[in-house]
Amino acid sequence: MKWTKGGINLEDYYFAISVIKNGELFKTVTEVVNDGSMPQAQAPRMSQADQDTLVAGIERILAAALAEADPGISVMRRLSHREYKYTVLDLLDVDFETAKYFPSEGSGGEGFDNQSGTLFISPLTMERYYNAADSIVRRIQADDNHWRKIIPANYKPGLTRRLVNSILAFVYPDREIHWDRPEIEAKKIMIPFATRAYRRFLSNEEEDQLMTFFRTAYFSNWQDKEAFDYAMSGVLKRILVSPNFLYRMEVNSHSQKPYPINNFELASRLSYLLWSSMPDERLLDVAYREDLHQPSILKREVLRMMDDRKFRRFSESFAPQWLGVEEMLYAPLTDQELFPEFTPELRHDMHEEVVGYFHEVFTKKRNLLHLLDSDYAWLNEDLAKHYDIEGVEGSEFRTVQISDRNRGGLLGMGAVLTATSLPVRTSPVLRGQWVLEQVLGDPAPPPPADVPALEDAKNNDVSELDLRSLLELHREDQACLGCHQKMDPIGLGLENFDAIGRWRDSYGPVPINTAGALLDGRKFKGPEELKGLFLEDKNKFAKNFSRKMLSYALGRNVEFIDTPTLESLTNELMNNNFDSQSFMLTLVNSYPFLNRRSDLAERYKGI
Amino acid sequence: MTRIPISRRRLLKGVGACIALPFLEAMVPSKVYAAHYAQSPSPQRFACLFMPNGVNPTKWNPEKTGMDFELSPILKPLEAQKNELLILAGMMNKNSHTREDGHYTKTANFLTSMRIAKTVDAKVDSGGISLDQLMAQHIGKDTFFPSLQYGLDRIRSGVDLAVGFTRLYGGTISWQGRNQPCSREIDPRMAFDRLFRNYVPGKKPLPHDPLKKTVLDLVKDDVRILEKQLGIEDQNKLGEYLEAVNSVEKRLNDRQNLADFESHITPDIRKELSKMDLRIDEWAEYAEGVDVTEKTRLMLDIIVLAFWSDASRIATFMFGNSVSNRNFSFLEGVEGAHHSISHHTDDPRMLDQYEKINRWHIEQYGYLLSRLQSIKEGDRNLLDNSMIMFGSGLRDGNRHSPFDLPIVVAGKGGGKFKTGQHIRYPDKTPLANLYQTMLYSMDIEVPQFGDSETVLCDLLV
Repeated sequence: MKWTKGGINLEDYYFAISVIKNGELFKTVTEVVNDGSMPQAQAPRMSQADQDTLVAGIERILAAALAEADPGISVMRRLSHREYKYTVLDLLDVDFETAKYFPSEGSGGEGFDNQSGTLFISPLTMERYYNAADSIVRRIQADDNHWRKIIPANYKPGLTRRLVNSILAFVYPDREIHWDRPEIEAKKIMIPFATRAYRRFLSNEEEDQLMTFFRTAYFSNWQDKEAFDYAMSGVLKRILVSPNFLYRMEVNSHSQKPYPINNFELASRLSYLLWSSMPDERLLDVAYREDLHQPSILKREVLRMMDDRKFRRFSESFAPQWLGVEEMLYAPLTDQELFPEFTPELRHDMHEEVVGYFHEVFTKKRNLLHLLDSDYAWLNEDLAKHYDIEGVEGSEFRTVQISDRNRGGLLGMGAVLTATSLPVRTSPVLRGQWVLEQVLGDPAPPPPADVPALEDAKNNDVSELDLRSLLELHREDQACLGCHQKMDPIGLGLENFDAIGRWRDSYGPVPINTAGALLDGRKFKGPEELKGLFLEDKNKFAKNFSRKMLSYALGRNVEFIDTPTLESLTNELMNNNFDSQSFMLTLVNSYPFLNRRSDLAERYKGI
Repeated sequence: MTRIPISRRRLLKGVGACIALPFLEAMVPSKVYAAHYAQSPSPQRFACLFMPNGVNPTKWNPEKTGMDFELSPILKPLEAQKNELLILAGMMNKNSHTREDGHYTKTANFLTSMRIAKTVDAKVDSGGISLDQLMAQHIGKDTFFPSLQYGLDRIRSGVDLAVGFTRLYGGTISWQGRNQPCSREIDPRMAFDRLFRNYVPGKKPLPHDPLKKTVLDLVKDDVRILEKQLGIEDQNKLGEYLEAVNSVEKRLNDRQNLADFESHITPDIRKELSKMDLRIDEWAEYAEGVDVTEKTRLMLDIIVLAFWSDASRIATFMFGNSVSNRNFSFLEGVEGAHHSISHHTDDPRMLDQYEKINRWHIEQYGYLLSRLQSIKEGDRNLLDNSMIMFGSGLRDGNRHSPFDLPIVVAGKGGGKFKTGQHIRYPDKTPLANLYQTMLYSMDIEVPQFGDSETVLCDLLV
């Protein structure tokens, strides 16, 4: 049956694509139309029959889109600056600080720096890549032992060879001198090295390319005593600026259907997810000798990798980005004069608290709900003092049992509380918004473009004391009411934490009132009870955490086609007591993590 | 005020756009004007300084228009350069006017004048090449560095979930192509060393790397092999990689421009380089993370040195990412952060602080202008040969208003601009008209830039 109205043709391929692309939106549309809440009474209406046809058509398109599993598009990803740093460390044992050396970059998807859509190479970045390679190689060369670990042989022509060469040079002055031995020696070192650097086997053609480079570099300079090392230093740089090193690539099959990625590609997906770095020897070996797609082997390797100390890089990368507290490492906004206690050391400690706590939860306690609430914290002496917790001595971080349940979990962390404050005071709106977005995955829409942010505005002249009454003004304005009823009470409930995360019971002489109610009417008083309510909403948290992790693992935004994956991840958390380990296993076993599709395939054109 | 609209067709035909009065002179063939322009012995430079979060709308514009005006409170620091200014009122970047968002859509396209795509990652799109990069394509090839992109802050990480944009958009005004943002330097040491390291008296130059050429040449073979195995999007990424390699390689082989650049490094400039080198060391040791004014001036001084030595003729500079909440409490009478204060709710005390923050930006702009003025070039000075633009993508931060943008241009662009004016254009005059006028003054003729409609003749001599 053909139905065409108002420029919409349900049979039209491009219409279908736009529905799928905006699947979540259309799903909501069909829901509100079906339950009668839309279109609003005063809006112009189409006939009931047309409306039903349209809704049914859209539902059919959406259902069809999910009927066949679609891993989504996967575009090659340049190494993020963090991944570059760790790959260089693992490949060459050089600790190269990238954060300042490479131009800073944006992030995408659910807010991570490893998303293909926001990783570019500009001329400046390329220039820095070359210079980085150069300086990395120089650093290795400066230490003989180090150099010989990377380049374990050093070919030097023997006496006979040199004699032969000088005779040849005398007899054929125009002919280029060339003999096989240096190449044979070089190849023995170069190919295994490149295989590790490219995280896969090289094709014959690629091996030849590298040999050509070596030949050019060596024989133009063979009389030099250091010719071999000189040529090999060039080979290293050549590899370090190759797209095979700088990007993670997956071979495109011309198949019309999705297909499993190959074992080496899977090894890289795993290692960059769990270690922010290249696969180690063993993982490459497993990828070569065994089948990583086999669930038992995959499980064995993932558990091994999560047990490795390199797994901390996952916590270090994922947690601060998810929570938006990375700026603790750079230049936070906090006013130095008002808060002289907020030293660079303290903010680094706060950053470490987030990373260390997350890691502890993920690897030891293995219950992700502890991110919302727990009876322990990850502290050192300075941070414990900042929080008024006694009995912690020394600069080492450790798990500390706490009796005050206001503090346990992310909502009591200095980094979070500071990052969601203004330079001179707290901001209940920002904190409420943060909880909704980052923890519950239920963001409030932005304020209308021409309405000033009320509370933000009274930056200075309104003391924290007046915040509550100021925020009440939102309720007088219908345009503000809906969203702020959602955000403000949460933020006000956290007012016991000041702008740098210290506990307080009063603003000066006036006690703080942290009582409030969530939008659905559930009442609370103070951070501890508020956390209790979020625990009741653990399904929201489960879904949001799943979404963040999926985006991080796939390097792209989570789309409508990912609905089944997202559901299975959420269910995994809900049914398995938020176990981090089995969650990770579900994630790496998920369809889009193990498969890809060609963007050349007809059936996906335009999606 | 005069504004003479020129039809698209006329521009396409390359007929001189600006017909200067009186009428008879307008009959002179345009080539004569072109020849007149071509006499300018020194190259033309362009820089754009971007300020986030708009201005206090009541304190920005001078009261009177025309040549005879008093500077407004915010612009007061430019007193010494008053005759070099074009203060342009009434302009709008139409494609930034969306209901979707107050900031990102008004930043990424500040210099493209096209609509940006709403996205958190797939196909980041600014709608087109930015003004500075188009200039760089044309005149940048004559210098060792085609263009420079500087700023003060790291690009803000994360995505703005509430509005559905990646924050990348808030940190980028220079676009090499619609899908390709330029990276920018935010560290004075890195920026300085990239240009001048080898010319600082007494400093060891960077070691020579004889294999660099071969590496860059042969690494391109990898692309050729890979192309066959990858999908469409992957090939686009590889194209980007290849372009980046080519640009590095080009500079490596660019003996002519290098020689030109080196020949411009006079003993005077060398002295400056020594001073700068020391200042950067001092700043890094004592003031990094503390003194943002000095950092700004270091970055601007590097632009001055680049223009002076003809290392580059094109630069952009971002005072902050959009929505920047820099803490401005270091200013007398300011207590708080930039974005927060920009939402002043018409409270006079807030407006006063907003104005002070705006003025700080103008002071830095004035610093750049006076430095350029102090450098002689032929019978002119460096500012005379430049177009130094200052602006924000918003008018009033409190309302995210895209109308009547705060825009100033300083410098005569090689004697082509009639400076010392405050001009009010009809409401919603495309900002891109200014861009097209600048392009025109550089003899870069495009039928249209962004949503431009005409060349602004009243700006030109």
